[in-house]
Amino acid sequence: MAHLTRRSVLQGLAAAGTTRLLAFPHVAKAAATTASVWFAQGFVQDEDVALRKAVADYEKASGNKIELTIIPFAPERQKIISAITSGVVPDMVDSNPAEILSLYGWQDKWVDVSDVVDTQRGQFSETALQSAQAYNNVTKKRGLYGVPLRAGVAPCHIWRTLVEKAGFKIEDLPKTWDAYFDFFKKVQDSLRKQGERKVYGLGFQVTASGVDPYNLFSAFLIAYGGRDIVTKDGKLHLGDPKVREAAVKAVGYLGGAYRDGYVPPSAVNWNDADDNNAFHAKLMVMDIDGTLSTEVAIKEKHPEWYQHEIVTHGFGYPNDNAGKPVPSIVGFTNGLIPKGAKNVTVAKEFLTYFIQPKVLGEFVELGLGRWLPVMPALAKSPFWQNPNDPHLRGYVQQGLLGPTLPDYYVFNPAMAEVRNQHVWSLAMIDVAKEGVKPAVAIDKAFKRIEEMFAKYPIA
Amino acid sequence: MMDGASVVDVGRWAVRRRTLTRSLRGRLQGGEYTWAVAFVVPYLAVFATFVAYPVVYGLWLGSEPSLYRELLRDPIYQGTIVNTVLYLALGVNVKMFLALLLSGFFMRPGWWMKVLLLIFVLPWAVPQISTFISIHWMLNGEWGFLNNALYTLFHVEGPSWLNDRWMALGAVIVSHIWKWTPFWTLILLAGRMAIPLEIRDTARVDGATGVRGFVYITVPLLANLYLISTLLSTIFLLGDFNAVYFVSGGGPADSTHVLATLGIRNAFDIAQPRLGVAAVMSALPLVIPLVIVLMRRLRTTEVQL
Amino acid sequence: MSPIRADAKAGGARVVAPPRRLIRRRRYLSHVGVGLLSVMLVVWSVAPIYNMVLIALEPEGDVFNDQLWPKAPSLESFRGVLTEGHWYLEHFWRQFANSLFLGAMVTFFTLLFGSMTSFSIARMRIRHGWLVSHAALLTYVIPASFLAIPFYRIMQNYGLANNPWSVIAALVAFATPYAIFVFQEYGRSIPIEVDESARIDGASPLQIYRRIYLPLMAPALVAVGTYALLLAWNEFLYQFLLLSTKSSMTVPVALAQFLNSDQSPWNYMMATAIIYAVPPVAIYYAFRRRMTAGLTMGGVKG
Repeated sequence: MAHLTRRSVLQGLAAAGTTRLLAFPHVAKAAATTASVWFAQGFVQDEDVALRKAVADYEKASGNKIELTIIPFAPERQKIISAITSGVVPDMVDSNPAEILSLYGWQDKWVDVSDVVDTQRGQFSETALQSAQAYNNVTKKRGLYGVPLRAGVAPCHIWRTLVEKAGFKIEDLPKTWDAYFDFFKKVQDSLRKQGERKVYGLGFQVTASGVDPYNLFSAFLIAYGGRDIVTKDGKLHLGDPKVREAAVKAVGYLGGAYRDGYVPPSAVNWNDADDNNAFHAKLMVMDIDGTLSTEVAIKEKHPEWYQHEIVTHGFGYPNDNAGKPVPSIVGFTNGLIPKGAKNVTVAKEFLTYFIQPKVLGEFVELGLGRWLPVMPALAKSPFWQNPNDPHLRGYVQQGLLGPTLPDYYVFNPAMAEVRNQHVWSLAMIDVAKEGVKPAVAIDKAFKRIEEMFAKYPIA
Repeated sequence: MMDGASVVDVGRWAVRRRTLTRSLRGRLQGGEYTWAVAFVVPYLAVFATFVAYPVVYGLWLGSEPSLYRELLRDPIYQGTIVNTVLYLALGVNVKMFLALLLSGFFMRPGWWMKVLLLIFVLPWAVPQISTFISIHWMLNGEWGFLNNALYTLFHVEGPSWLNDRWMALGAVIVSHIWKWTPFWTLILLAGRMAIPLEIRDTARVDGATGVRGFVYITVPLLANLYLISTLLSTIFLLGDFNAVYFVSGGGPADSTHVLATLGIRNAFDIAQPRLGVAAVMSALPLVIPLVIVLMRRLRTTEVQL
Repeated sequence: MSPIRADAKAGGARVVAPPRRLIRRRRYLSHVGVGLLSVMLVVWSVAPIYNMVLIALEPEGDVFNDQLWPKAPSLESFRGVLTEGHWYLEHFWRQFANSLFLGAMVTFFTLLFGSMTSFSIARMRIRHGWLVSHAALLTYVIPASFLAIPFYRIMQNYGLANNPWSVIAALVAFATPYAIFVFQEYGRSIPIEVDESARIDGASPLQIYRRIYLPLMAPALVAVGTYALLLAWNEFLYQFLLLSTKSSMTVPVALAQFLNSDQSPWNYMMATAIIYAVPPVAIYYAFRRRMTAGLTMGGVKG
């Protein structure tokens, strides 16, 4: 029978404690030429494969080691926030969600990476460079904190089969904004007459979940002339009558479509994946959704959908009601280096390697083209200009070669709060479900936006 | 058996420490005291490292008054309080009352009761991430199982269950009740079975049947257990995150959040962890009294019955 | 429907026996009532689980149809899960093993620490022991979801990031207070004289704990063990936050991946969920009698 004395208990504890103390220095030393990188998991396996290849190539070329952790995007978001809050950070993360560049840049949490970006500065698109900077409220200056890696834009995705079933052709689609979307209402009416009671013409994400509603509203806002709601200097312009009018029209159209029964009723409670599920189930004829994930997801399982049945506009993206082209907002995934990272040198070296046009181009191409390249020269590659692919050319035209804008939170992080707290969504839902008048809904939204911007004063 | 050396050791302990530390140890002496401490140390270590320290750190994170002002300004916050109160009031009480009634039902003899109990416990045994997602899909207005069933069996077009704040909140409460009633039924069932046979027999003989039996015999005997269970359940429910998160997602339009999910949403969805901590801490004024009552109840419980 | 009512017939002395007709009708009604209630309970309990099975059997991951039963049910999804046939599931068995490990460790340590602490407080009556059990209850003042971020930081500091022990520690910390409570309650039914006489015979506390306390507490151990296992199996938030790589994840985190994507094979997801549900159900089934005994807080079973 063992005899436990006070002495032996204390000795045991002391021993355990010492071992732990001794272990830590070992861990610290090992970080010398290893950098830890976190990256969000892709929606298809090919994206992860592409990333791993880039990392492996770098390791071979440089002799350094990269500890790559691929995490599904929702947990990664939480981990990044937890890491930055707690101060224990990896060496490089991707900007998930995209606006953490601005939000944490404001708090001076990123390492300046102008030296990395400068190695390829001429190659990047203007919009990409704009989206890589953020206003730092500690230094009171704008700094370059992100390394643009890939981009995404929101085209319209349409079921050709449903349009044809209704007796129309895709070529019949009008080229101006309101007429374009009204067309789908006609498609729905025709399908209803044929007895299809579960199909809806417009897949507007009138919900307070995810980023789709914000992208949707922004697209409409810009189309109606409200693009200057936040200008490059970070100032808010809600008093501008053009902006207000555009906002009222946008919420009126989007909410009105729901009220009039052209949007699936459950849209009001869709989460991030529900709208895509609904689209794939042919519950609606079209939706506006970021990146080509809708198409890439079914490419393997349903090649006939990819090749023929789903159309991406892309090329057919409508002009505004006066016939002028509407610029699209492009979102970027940037590589970021948190302050306090143990191995900034290797992180920067890896990023410098990564943004070589050849490497970066291969990265997005191996990912089946779900994401866009950030360098216009790469858009000319045979992959993107493949005449046999129905989606890629239009996608790269809309998101890289045509007129583009950076998202508003790039200029002022307050817009990120507008997005995350779903201010536009609530306005749309007010009009859609509660029957609130668009002007009243916008007044409420504007008030809330002003409160948020008041927290981020930029001189 | 104790060997010679230990006996001497114990004696030495006792002589050295008796006068100074008698009050500390109470009636435990020497080696026994060491054992008693050693038995408690592991849990205390876990508590200090993994509860006390995180709690203190969390409290520090949430200790700025400006956070609470911001919280009050958030239009969702007030609705969230209402939701939380409703969730607690209905979720706990309906569930416990059903558990009380069902525990009586399951006292019936027979093999069918045993099988039924097994089926009834399935909701608790099957992991909630799976079942709550299943419920979320069941309730979809367009293609959910519930509306399909209603249409096929009764030709009734069901509404979009999760589109309306109160229906969605109701769905969340019902989901919670669905999952946890089996657990508390088991607890109360055990409590009923703990009622000594003589009391039950005497009651029968005295003609305390049916409702009278329930009111005058069962209820007083189970009262303490019922109360403790209700308190525990309330405390657990206050921190419950999964039902709202998976069934309604906090929607529509963030209108069915409860404090626990609002905390997570503030922390991660809008990247303001301290605001998230503040949201959850604002429940403290409700929770602390509950825990104090619970502690008092547990302390004064000398005899279970 | 309390047992008293069902046995009304056997009432006897103080109750006037009602006429036979009435008895028969009462019995008939009572049977109908029980039958109705049974059906309702079964439908109520099984419906969402049936939905899971329904989706799992759909061949195309086609959640969006009108049927109450799949037109062409297929076991393809189950086969896919068991053979790790999908990208999300390529580490399924590893993750399943992680879940088992997590559950086993949480159960073991909750039982160990809970019984040890309860033994010290309730049996050995350590002075100020009530402080410990009350402090334990304070664990529940702060909801688990609140502690997520502090926990994350602390685990980083301890070098336990992405390590199952971080989750095990969190869950043991949350389950043990309840365990202490149950053990204390159940322990009241074991007279302290048993311990005393062993002490007089010269047994050390460790021997009393191992040879007397634990065996007598067996039903409570089973009850608490099942509770701890189900807690670990049911838990989501901490596993989600603290485990990030495919090889360290547990099944709930893997399940959540399906929710991330634009086009997930929902049938695979539900098949995974169903397979994941089998161990706790099996364990509950195996131990159900002991469980009820353990929850009987010290009384005589009827």
